[in-house]
Amino acid sequence: MNARMPASVRRLLLGFSLPVYLLLYAPLVLIAVFSFAPPPHGSAPGFSWYAELLRTPPILAAFRRSLTLAICSSILGTLLGTLMGFGLSRFRPASGRGPGAALPSLIIYTPIIMPSLVFGISELIFFNLIHQSTGLLAAGLLTMGIAHVTFQAPYVALVVFARMAGLDPNLFEASHDLYANGLQSFWHLTIPVIRPALLGGFLLAFTLSIDDFTISYFTSGPGSTTLPIYIYSAVARKGISPDINALATLMIATVIGVALLHYAFTRRSERRLIARVGD
Amino acid sequence: MTAEAAIPARRGMAWRAEDFARRFRLWITAGPGLAWIVLFLIIPSAILLAIGFFSIGDYGNPRLPLTLEPLREVAGYSILGWSPGNITTILRSLLQAVSATVLTILLAYPVVFFIISRPPALRPLLLLFVILPSWTNQVVRTYAWMELLGPRSGLSHLAQALGFIPAHLGLLPGVFAMQVGLTYNYLPYMVVPLYAAAEKLDWTLVEAGRDLYASGQKLFWHTVFPQTMSGLLSGIILVAIPAFGDYVVPTLLGGGRSMMIGSLIASQFTETPNWPYGAALTIFMLVFTCAGLAVFRVLSRRFGGTGAMM
Repeated sequence: MNARMPASVRRLLLGFSLPVYLLLYAPLVLIAVFSFAPPPHGSAPGFSWYAELLRTPPILAAFRRSLTLAICSSILGTLLGTLMGFGLSRFRPASGRGPGAALPSLIIYTPIIMPSLVFGISELIFFNLIHQSTGLLAAGLLTMGIAHVTFQAPYVALVVFARMAGLDPNLFEASHDLYANGLQSFWHLTIPVIRPALLGGFLLAFTLSIDDFTISYFTSGPGSTTLPIYIYSAVARKGISPDINALATLMIATVIGVALLHYAFTRRSERRLIARVGD
Repeated sequence: MTAEAAIPARRGMAWRAEDFARRFRLWITAGPGLAWIVLFLIIPSAILLAIGFFSIGDYGNPRLPLTLEPLREVAGYSILGWSPGNITTILRSLLQAVSATVLTILLAYPVVFFIISRPPALRPLLLLFVILPSWTNQVVRTYAWMELLGPRSGLSHLAQALGFIPAHLGLLPGVFAMQVGLTYNYLPYMVVPLYAAAEKLDWTLVEAGRDLYASGQKLFWHTVFPQTMSGLLSGIILVAIPAFGDYVVPTLLGGGRSMMIGSLIASQFTETPNWPYGAALTIFMLVFTCAGLAVFRVLSRRFGGTGAMM
């Protein structure tokens, strides 16, 4: 590898890339630094703004809502997405070339390629019309959850589909030869072998839910302010402020922490797998 | 079994039964998810598009009869005559999306090849560090730039000292801040597909070029660049389309005087409701999205992109 690029080129690439990495983290580090600013009547910098967060009931409520929304929608999204990814990879007619064969993929890709603004506004109008005509589905956590599942399921389906594509089809033949019926084979073979994809899909669904602002914003109601919506309205109202800095820092730290843990975990299990195969 | 298989008619029937079972299993596994997406996204977006052809009611709600009035309004015609406001907004969005895409390309290439130039064991981690910021919430990321470009920040002081902006003003809101925000937000979406293409690079071509005494520049443009084309095209799609319709960045960093189509659409459904007009703007945005995707398909076929799809 090293021989492929002259040392001068490698140095140049490093020189160009370091500022880009710096640019990626500078804003995040800066709000973390500002979040330790001293309180208005205090003297020393410290955790005072974090303590302030704990004393602000709307923030705690928004935090609980964000977590509830992310967990509930991820469970349903992972369930629907796994079944889609599994079903499409196992049971789609191989000879299918007609318009019917491409239709499932087209449906699955719609939520992924649709601009999130159009996504959000479509849901806003749809739930609004339903609520006007039937009184059901008032804008709130439930409508947000429905919207979240709609974008989580396709991503989970892609992850599971990719995992299934990497498996030996003979595995399924073997389970069939051992007289396992469809359900037994799904439960005792498919679920265990796609477990990494299931876990990865769930984490992806969870992150997507926590990260989303635009779609949540348009499907939320008066009593369903989640953390991103809380931050957005606080910023729109009063601009930058130290307590929002503390809240943003906590959110950044959580996401980065979870991502690094997940990375370490998958690396370890990958190494273990390689070691096992090596034996 | 073998005797049965010898009879073509029986075998055909068995095959049909198996095919039926397969289809049945497909629909009970994939069906619920697909139905969910159709019910909660495809039907709603069809309704949204349809609203673009309704007349505007008293409260901005859609009402009959059907009309092309909202689409004319998108083009800038209103009861007050023609005004360039909308065209300006659309052009500004296009310009912002294009320049953000170009900037992400310029930043992504060195980073991707920097990652490639490191030992394979290190690469996933280096890539992860590019992606990580994009996993934080978009509002939080954009908020961070409000802090960094605000009037009290070091960057603003520098710009003030150099005379780019008047004293006591920040680098935001405005077109510059919007550009920074969009580039920052979408950089990982360019890096990831480019990296995927660059990792599979066939270096023997580069070596062959070097053996033929090609200069560094020629080596890049003739041996490396064509091989990254599929990743570049995916990256352009992943950056340009969402950047064009972004909502958070223009609202928080753009300010009222440099509106983009995203905030224009959103305001038709929130502040001063005008659903048919908003829907007509959305139609325009979707046409742009589909045109982009169509161009992408044509180009990626021509440049031999795999277009890895499910």
